[in-house]
Amino acid sequence: MPASSEGPATAGRLQNTEPPENTEPPATAEPPATAEPPATAEPPARAERAVILPKHLHARPAGLIAQAAARYPQTTIEIVADGRRADARSILAVMALGAVAGSEVLVRTAGAQADGATATVVAILTAAED
Amino acid sequence: MVGIVLVSHSPALAEGAAELVGQIAGGARVVPAGGTEDGRLGTSTRLIVDAIAKADQGAGVLVIPDLGSSVLSARAVIADLDPGAPPVALADAPFVEGAVAAGVAASIGADLSAVARAAEEARDARKL
Repeated sequence: MPASSEGPATAGRLQNTEPPENTEPPATAEPPATAEPPATAEPPARAERAVILPKHLHARPAGLIAQAAARYPQTTIEIVADGRRADARSILAVMALGAVAGSEVLVRTAGAQADGATATVVAILTAAED
Repeated sequence: MVGIVLVSHSPALAEGAAELVGQIAGGARVVPAGGTEDGRLGTSTRLIVDAIAKADQGAGVLVIPDLGSSVLSARAVIADLDPGAPPVALADAPFVEGAVAAGVAASIGADLSAVARAAEEARDARKL
């Protein structure tokens, strides 16, 4: 995927730090018990949010992000900083972004629970310095 | 949860790395085995055996050595383990980065092979 294909459309300033618990999109609701063949038809959900870091993305938040990402096994979670992408599950990759306080990073997710995963990671990124 | 043992020639290095991993990867059990039994620079199979026992919580233990005789001592210990003991693996990984990556993997409940893989992937992780 070319790095230039950022979709800036949804990348608004972030203010609300929602609770990290899974806010699953209710819209895609599960089919009634008698279900038709699931899954195959739906395109994977995607979400993307831009965040201005209040603190450096150093070891501890990177560790928290990697731990949080593990709660979303069905979701691809990337952090993009200065055109470089890191898999949120890899603490070393996230630290290697070298993202500093005041810079903008993008949280980009795809798959089941994309919204919840995005909110969780954004909450960690925007939490006050520990 | 998989336990982690950090083997170093230096007690301070092993303890410091274990403290660091404990901070970054909350919840992981990381046990240092640095230096000789009387606290000098070197390695001690006895300390490594004790550390493995302390780190073990039933899901196995990953041993991460720094270099040289740490590797040899860790290997000797692992070769001598009881057949009935929980599995113990030796990581071929950079000491600090491997310990941090393994600690995060262990803290989220990854199994021994996944924790070992996380440590070994740290070989390819760039810092800049």
